[in-house]
Amino acid sequence: MKSKLALFLVLIMLISTMATGCTSSQTQAPAEPPKTEDPANEPEGPAAGEPVKVGAILPLSGSAAATGVKLKYAIEVAQEIINGEHPDIALPLAETMGLPNLGNAPIQVVFSDHQGNPEIAKTEAERLIQNEKVAALVGAYQSSATKPASQSAERFKVPFVAGSSSSAALTERGLNYFTRIAPNDDMETEVFFEYLKYLNEETNADIKTIGVVFIDNEYGVHAAEMVDKWLEEKYAADGFEKVVAVKYPTDVTSVDTEVQQIKAANPDVLFHASYIGDITQFVKKYKEFEFSPKAVVNYCGGFQDTQFVVNLDKDGDFFSGGAACAPTLFSTMEVADKINELFKVKSGGENIDGPALEEFASLMVVADAINQAKSTNGDAIMEVIRTAKFDAPYFSTGAIQFDEKGQNFYSASFIVQTQGAEYEAVFPVEIQTAKPIAPFPTWTERK
Amino acid sequence: MVKNKKTLIIIIAVLAALPLIFKSDSFHNIMVLLLIYATLGEAWNIITGFAGQISFGHAAFFGIGAYTSSVLFYRFDISPWVGMVLGGIFAAMVALIISYPTFRLKGSYFAIATLAVAEIIKQLFVSWKFVEGATGISLPIVDDSWLCMEFHTTKLPYIYIALGLFAIVIFVCNYIENSKTGFYLKAIRESHEVAESIGINTTNYKTLAMVISAFISAFAGSLYAQYVLYIDPFMIFTLDISIKIVLLTVLGGIGNIYGPLIGASILIPLSEITRVQLGGTGRGIDLMIFGLLVILVACYQPKGIIGLVNKVAKKFKKEGEGNVEANS
Amino acid sequence: MLGQIISNGLLMGFIYSLVAVGLTLTWGVMDITNFAHGEMLMLGMYSAFWMFQLYSIDPLLSIPISAAVIFVLGILIYKLIIKKVLGGTGLTALLATFGLSMFLKNLVQYLWTPNYRYINGAIVTDNKIVIGNIILGMPQVVAAIGSIAMTLIVIYFMNKTKTGKAIQATALNRDTASLMGIDTGKIYAITFGLSGACVGVAGALMSSFFPIYPQSGALYSILAFVIVALGGFGNIKGALFAGLIIGLTEAVGGYFLGTQFKYALVFLIYLIVIQVRPKGLFGW
Repeated sequence: MKSKLALFLVLIMLISTMATGCTSSQTQAPAEPPKTEDPANEPEGPAAGEPVKVGAILPLSGSAAATGVKLKYAIEVAQEIINGEHPDIALPLAETMGLPNLGNAPIQVVFSDHQGNPEIAKTEAERLIQNEKVAALVGAYQSSATKPASQSAERFKVPFVAGSSSSAALTERGLNYFTRIAPNDDMETEVFFEYLKYLNEETNADIKTIGVVFIDNEYGVHAAEMVDKWLEEKYAADGFEKVVAVKYPTDVTSVDTEVQQIKAANPDVLFHASYIGDITQFVKKYKEFEFSPKAVVNYCGGFQDTQFVVNLDKDGDFFSGGAACAPTLFSTMEVADKINELFKVKSGGENIDGPALEEFASLMVVADAINQAKSTNGDAIMEVIRTAKFDAPYFSTGAIQFDEKGQNFYSASFIVQTQGAEYEAVFPVEIQTAKPIAPFPTWTERK
Repeated sequence: MVKNKKTLIIIIAVLAALPLIFKSDSFHNIMVLLLIYATLGEAWNIITGFAGQISFGHAAFFGIGAYTSSVLFYRFDISPWVGMVLGGIFAAMVALIISYPTFRLKGSYFAIATLAVAEIIKQLFVSWKFVEGATGISLPIVDDSWLCMEFHTTKLPYIYIALGLFAIVIFVCNYIENSKTGFYLKAIRESHEVAESIGINTTNYKTLAMVISAFISAFAGSLYAQYVLYIDPFMIFTLDISIKIVLLTVLGGIGNIYGPLIGASILIPLSEITRVQLGGTGRGIDLMIFGLLVILVACYQPKGIIGLVNKVAKKFKKEGEGNVEANS
Repeated sequence: MLGQIISNGLLMGFIYSLVAVGLTLTWGVMDITNFAHGEMLMLGMYSAFWMFQLYSIDPLLSIPISAAVIFVLGILIYKLIIKKVLGGTGLTALLATFGLSMFLKNLVQYLWTPNYRYINGAIVTDNKIVIGNIILGMPQVVAAIGSIAMTLIVIYFMNKTKTGKAIQATALNRDTASLMGIDTGKIYAITFGLSGACVGVAGALMSSFFPIYPQSGALYSILAFVIVALGGFGNIKGALFAGLIIGLTEAVGGYFLGTQFKYALVFLIYLIVIQVRPKGLFGW
C-alpha cells in the first residue's frame, strides 16, 4: 500500500512538473530572443531558409476523426509538394524546394486536434498563433469549429483559409482575415437545381417533388434553409416543390423511422445533408425498404467520402452530389492524378476526395501567398490572398480567387454520380465523363 | 464563525498571483477554464457532495446561463453582467420546477432523471429558432470592455472575473457546509430515513441545494460563453460537460470544498497538455494517455486526491487543528 | 405503414434490450456505473468484423467467439480496475470506467483507424422477410432472435444455476453473501464477464447491419443507461421490456412528432414512467 502511494505521489509530481515545466518555458521564450524587437517592426519575413509555420486545426479524434485524418493526409501531401522538388507536377512551388522568395524556406505544418469542440478549436487557434507563431491557419472542417477559430485568427490578424467548411454563414461575418475555398451550401444548392433542370430536359425523369433529409446540426439545418431559399427565389417557378423535410438527430442509431417518413411522402428527388456514417445507413435502408427516388443529390459531406463506394459498392450507385474532384477525371487532369498518387501512399490506397482536395488547396494557397508576399506578416499575406488569382489545375475550374467576402468565386464543385462504384462527373456538360442516369432504376431492377 | 477562512484566503491569493507570475497565454487559458470548471464542481458538490443526490445533468444549468446572457447580448445588446444574473435566476427556476418530480427518486434513478432533463433541454434548444437553434450564436465582437465582458488583448480580466466568481462560490460553499443547512444536507446524504425521522423536510432542503447549485452553474455558463464567444447546443448541453464536472470533483474529493479545485487543477491542465503535446498526431494518443492517467488516479486514490492531501497534512502537523478536513 | 413502424421499433428494441441486460447486471449487482459498457459493445462489433475480414467467419458463427472475447475482457476489467475502486464511492468507479472508455475508443482509433467499417456479404445480408406490406430485414430479425435467446440464457443462468443464485444473493446483500461462504470477488468477476458476454453477442449480431467505428458503442451507452433505469436496476426482465418500450417510443414517437425529437421522447418517457414507478417498471 505504501509503495502504491509513493508511486502515485511520483505520478502527481510528474504531472505537475510537466505542467509548470511546459508553461514556464512558454513564458520565458517570448521574453528572450524574439522579444528583442518590437513585433510591429519585425523584419519582413524570417531569416532565409528558416521554416515558415502554418497551423492546421482538424477534428483528429471524436466522431469526425475518420474525415479529419484524411484531411490531414491531404495537407501533408501539399506540404511535401511545396517542400520537395517535384518538377513533374505543374503547380506553383512544386518545382523548387520550399518558398523560393523566402530563401527556399520550407513550410512546416503544425497539426492540432479540436475534437469537434468549438472551445478547443478557439484555444488551439490561439495557441498556434501565440506559441507556435504560425503565419497562417487552415482547417477546421466543421463550420462550428471554424467559426470561433477564425474569430481568434482575425483578432491576431493572422490569415485563416478554410478548405471544406461549407456553411454560407462563415463568409457573411465580415471578417478581413478569413477566406474559404469550398463552394458554400448556398452555391451548391443552386447547382443542384440546375442539375435537376438538366435532368428533366435530357431524360424522362420528370422531377418535381423534393424531399430534404438532413442532420440536425449546423451543416444540415443550414443546407435545408438554402433549399427553401432557392425554391422561393427562383426554382418554384420551374415547378419544383418541397413535399417533405426529415430532420434526424446527430448520433443517430437507426434510421428506420426516417426512411418510413420519406417513403410515405415519396418525393421525386432527395436532397441529403448527411455524414458518411448516416448516409451509408440511409442507403442500406432505402434498399431494404425498396425506396427508389428518381434522383438523390448530396451536399458536400458523407457521400463524397470514398468510403461510400468502398462500403456500399454497387448499392451506392446512381446517387449524386456536389464534389470538388472525381477520380474518373484524373485521367484528363494530370496534376490531380499526381496529387492522388501521393495521397494514396498515405491513405493506404484510398483515393482523394473533394473535402480533402479542398484542404490541400488551402495550404497551397497559403504557401503561394506567403511566397508572393515575401513575408510572413499577416497583412502582407492577406493582401495577396485577397487580390491574387491562384493557379489550381487540380480543380475543374483551374483557379481560385476570392471575392470581397472571402468566398472563392470559382466554384470548384461539379456534380458527380456513382456509376459502377465509381464517381463519374455528370454535370456541367463540359466536364462530363459519363451521362447521368435518371431516373434511378428500382432496387429489384438492379439485380 | 467562518471556519477555514485563512486557508481559503491564502488559496485565493495564490490563485490571484499565479497569472501575474506565469504570463503565457496558454497558462492563462488553462486558468480561466480551470476556474470555471472548479466553480461548476463547487456547485455540483452542494447537491451531490453535501446532499448526496447525484446529478448527471448540470450541463443544463450551465447551458441555460450561457444561453441567457448570450441571447440577451446578441438580440438586445444587453450587458452579459445582467444576462449572467438573469441566467442564474432562470436556471434556479428550472431547478425548482424539475426538483419536485425528480426528488421523489432515489440514487441512480435520480441521476438518470437529471441526465434525461438535460438531454431534453438540449433538444429544445437545438430546435428553437429564436436562439439560432443548431447554428449556434456567434457573439458580437466589440472592443475590450468590462461592460460587455469582452477582452481580446489579454485574458487577465477573464481570469479575475472567474476567480472572483470562484472565490464567492467557495466561501458560500464553506458557509453552507458549516451551517445548519449543511448539517441537514449531510444528514440526508447519510440516511434519508433518519433525516426525515428527526424532522428534516428532506424535499425542501434538497430543492434548496439544487436551486443554489443551478444558480451558480449558470453564472459559470455565462462566463464561459463570453470567453469562447461562440455557443451552440452541442458544445454547451453536452453530457461531456456534465460528466467532466462529476469527474473532476470525484477526482479531487467529493463532498469537500477543496475537492473541485484540486480536481480541476489536475484534470484541466492534464487534458490541455496531453492534447498540445500529442493531439496533432491524429491517432488519438493524447486521449489514450489521458484516459490511462484517469484510470490510474481512480485506482490508486479511490477517495480522491483530497485523501492524499489529508494524509500529508496530518503528517506535517500532528499538533494543532488541521486546516484541511476530510468529510468523506 | 404503422405496422411497419411498430415492427421496426420492436426489432430495434430487442437490440437495445440485450445491450441494457449487460449493463443492468453490473449496475444492479455491483452498483457500478460502467461508462465503458458502450466500448465493450464496440469491441464486440470489431471482434466480429475482424473474424470476418481475416478468417472469413460469418458474424453469426462468430457470436460465441465475440462473447468469449468480451467475457474475458470483462473479467480483466474487473480484476485490473474495478476491484481497486470498490473501496471508494460508486462515483469512483464512474471515474475509472470513464477513463477506460476514453482509452479504449482511442486505442481502437490508434490500431485500426477511425474509418467506418461494414461487413458486406454476411449470410443475412440483403435478405428480408415480407409479410403483407411489412418488410423485415433479415439481419434485424436474426439479431432480435439472438437477443431474445441470449436474454433467456441469462435469465436461466441467474435463476437456475448455483452461480446465478450466488450473484443474486450478492446483489441483495454483499456482506451476508460473503458470510454465507460466497466468494464475492469471484462473483463480481463473473458478473462483469457475463455483462461482457451480453454485449459481445450484441456486437456480433449488430455487426452485420451497423457501421463499426471507434465511437459506435458510445451511441448506445446513454440509451442503455435510460433503459436500465426504466426497467429497474438489476432487473433483467425489466431491461428486456424497457428496451422494447424505448424502441417503440423512438420509432412511433419519432414518426409522428418529428424524427429530430426521437431521443428527447425517449428521455421524456423515462421521466413520465418514473413518476408512476419510482423504482423502474419492475423495481421492487
